[in-house]
Amino acid sequence: MIEFKEFSFRYREGEAPVVRDITLSIPDGCFVGITGAAGSGKSTLTYAINGIIPHCYPGDFYGSVTVEGLDTVEASLTDISRVVGSVCQDIDSQMVSTVVEDEILYGLENFAVPKDEIPARVDEALGAMGIADLRDRTIDSLSGGQKQKVAVASVIALQPRVLVLDEPTAELDPASSVAVFDLLARYAREHGTTVVVVEQKIALLSDYADMLVIVDGGRIRFADTPDAVLAHSDELLALGVNVPRATTLMNALGAQGLYGGPTVRNVAGAAAALKEVLA
Amino acid sequence: MAKFLEYVPGNSFLHRMNPSVKLICAVLFAIACFATSNLAFLLVLLVGALVLAASCGLGRETAGLCRAVFAFSLILAVVILLTTPHGVPLVPLPWGFIGTGSLLAALTVIVRLMAAAIPLFLVFYVTKMNDITNSAVKQLHVPYKYAFTFTSTVHFIPVFMNDMAGIMEAQTARGVEFDGSLVKKVRLMIPLCVPLLVSSVRKTNSAAIAAEVRGFNLRTRESGYKDYPLGAGDWGALAVCVLVLAAAIALAALGL
Amino acid sequence: MIEFKNVSASYDGELAVLRDVSFTVGDGDFVAFVGTNGAGKSTTMRLANGLLKPTAGEVLVDGVPTTALKTSELARRIGFLFQNPDRQICCNTVREELLFGFKALGEEGPAAEERVDAIIERFGFDADAEPYLLNRGTRQLLALASIIVLAPPTIILDEPTTGLDFRECVKVMDVVRELNEGGTTVITVCHDMEVVGDFARRVIAMTGGRVVADGATFDVLRDGRVLKEAHILPPQVTEVSMILGRDEGCPEAIAQADTVPQMVAAIAQELQLEGRAAAEAAALANDVAAALSAETVASAAAVVEAKAMLGDAGADGEGGR
Repeated sequence: MIEFKEFSFRYREGEAPVVRDITLSIPDGCFVGITGAAGSGKSTLTYAINGIIPHCYPGDFYGSVTVEGLDTVEASLTDISRVVGSVCQDIDSQMVSTVVEDEILYGLENFAVPKDEIPARVDEALGAMGIADLRDRTIDSLSGGQKQKVAVASVIALQPRVLVLDEPTAELDPASSVAVFDLLARYAREHGTTVVVVEQKIALLSDYADMLVIVDGGRIRFADTPDAVLAHSDELLALGVNVPRATTLMNALGAQGLYGGPTVRNVAGAAAALKEVLA
Repeated sequence: MAKFLEYVPGNSFLHRMNPSVKLICAVLFAIACFATSNLAFLLVLLVGALVLAASCGLGRETAGLCRAVFAFSLILAVVILLTTPHGVPLVPLPWGFIGTGSLLAALTVIVRLMAAAIPLFLVFYVTKMNDITNSAVKQLHVPYKYAFTFTSTVHFIPVFMNDMAGIMEAQTARGVEFDGSLVKKVRLMIPLCVPLLVSSVRKTNSAAIAAEVRGFNLRTRESGYKDYPLGAGDWGALAVCVLVLAAAIALAALGL
Repeated sequence: MIEFKNVSASYDGELAVLRDVSFTVGDGDFVAFVGTNGAGKSTTMRLANGLLKPTAGEVLVDGVPTTALKTSELARRIGFLFQNPDRQICCNTVREELLFGFKALGEEGPAAEERVDAIIERFGFDADAEPYLLNRGTRQLLALASIIVLAPPTIILDEPTTGLDFRECVKVMDVVRELNEGGTTVITVCHDMEVVGDFARRVIAMTGGRVVADGATFDVLRDGRVLKEAHILPPQVTEVSMILGRDEGCPEAIAQADTVPQMVAAIAQELQLEGRAAAEAAALANDVAAALSAETVASAAAVVEAKAMLGDAGADGEGGR
């Protein structure tokens, strides 16, 4: 369970708070997608969960953020990172190793995972991200999608209860993006891991997330199921947040009185709804 | 071809050697190169270094490295050539002369620098970064933070070189002509240090945070998963390097 | 005009990253290159503006091989926007940045200043702002502006919308569309298929260093073989219409709809043909919607629980993949 209570934060060098009055609970095992326009404060929300705020970026912290009962201000960054695994935006600078296997080992070594457990953990992490065959490759020789999977694998090897990812598919092509989300969602479901992901690709988020959080000007505008959030598609567009084209299509049909069903969030939903309309 | 200082997978003797021993040997070898001024001995060392490079299939990388070291040592050699009037005069200069001794001294500098540099660079091509760090921490008792800082710096060199190449490419696309004299090239590159610096600061900052959230602070000497036992080959290599150093010192002591 | 004639290319003389690529981009064209990371798209772009020279074949810009053109001449003919604006931006103020290209080409002067002023006005930039302090989207716009201020007849964009939010993306692409309407040739690498569908007139799909399809945007994006081979997902409306088109008796207009307006029109027409029956169905759908919208208020936790149950079933199904 992740709980924000009236959380506000102002970076030391900033003039105004970047996020304010955030109150939000994320239940265990929830797959949460956070999105919003550039500078809306969405990354700051993830920093509050993994402790980068206030431990790496100091500033004025109001309210409280607790992760699995851990107060992120009081707990040390290291203690938080035992619970929260983070995949940073800049994958290349996150990598500390030359070879895939070493990258997975790095966190396991640091957290003093017993040596007899390590091989199984490495195997499992590589398997979960579908990259067992990349084990001995140099990281330099990998494609963007493969690197991203290595970054996620190196974090899930630590078996965190919460996984935080900042724009994990920004550099990836659509097929690789879907693959990363697929693997991530499956892993989270099987292990009951809570996933918080910041992402611009709304179509992906709508498809995979249990909860969509829309941030605007440092405040949460919507936090609900994708269907419920996408029902406000006009407001979303006004906030500079895109809407899946399938949703736009069905809403346009709705405006013409040609469709009156529930909000649609992906291609499969639109196709099914249209088949009924045409039947 | 592998990027500058980046690990090249392989299974040669050098690849399999203990990382700490590799480092120590390379350092001993380099000291030996600087301890002696005997050109014949230095040539033997250079050939030895080249054979080592060839033995792990790094001929091309080493050739590239030799070119770079050669260019650098050439500048030194020219300075020496012009300022060391030794031996039989060949070319008179307003302030002295260039003699056979000057030529020899210049040649010695080139050979010495190349011979000393090759094994040091080879270490990075045949050893995974983590192995260098972990072995140095475990066996040489280097504090982890220093070892990590050092290897990260080496790790970032190709990243920054790649960045610089990207930045230069972007400027080339805007019509900046980098081809031409070295002076012109350097003058054009200076303003580009700003974008490079900006991206470097960002990268190192996020690298530090990324390491920290993966338990960097918890790491101790015992953390490394792999062990790095010393084999007979390691002891042998160490012995050879000690002998080389001893020979270099002996030659110097004998004034040869 | 840019022509590729049987072009192959490689880096450092190793494995070919491009194999026997041929195509021609005519003046005023708007072409999008699609395909996975590593398919050779960026290499193609770098060949097109001479940053990379082919190892075999020829790249011709306005009939002249890139190998025979100087950097500055190429820069005058082709503007290149890199994916990462930070590699391009190198000056201390927005104004200097916009003037930089003129300087590089040796074309400083009152005419250049005038053009810079015009573009500052058009984009609404703060001329004295420090580029590094601007946000990512504005930096991307600045990078684009500093290219188009030179008015090159062709612009090449390498993933111009990556990392931008929706509003910034629309802003950048609107500028690009406007340029194209004014006669500028546009060649872009783009991963966002909605953007490709909305803007490009022609698509070239690549995979493994080869061109696998070259044609009108939706002809390519509807070709099942191409989608599979190049690992492309079509734009959502196209995908919906392709799914509907698989059913027997699906009207042609619906099966071929690629945009929201096309699909709405096609469905409206179809439903009118069905007359009153359709109206009744719509009314029924409305009732269902009302009933359902009450349910959507349910808390996220409840949904998670339901999803977890569904998920277990789903996981079993997926295990076979």
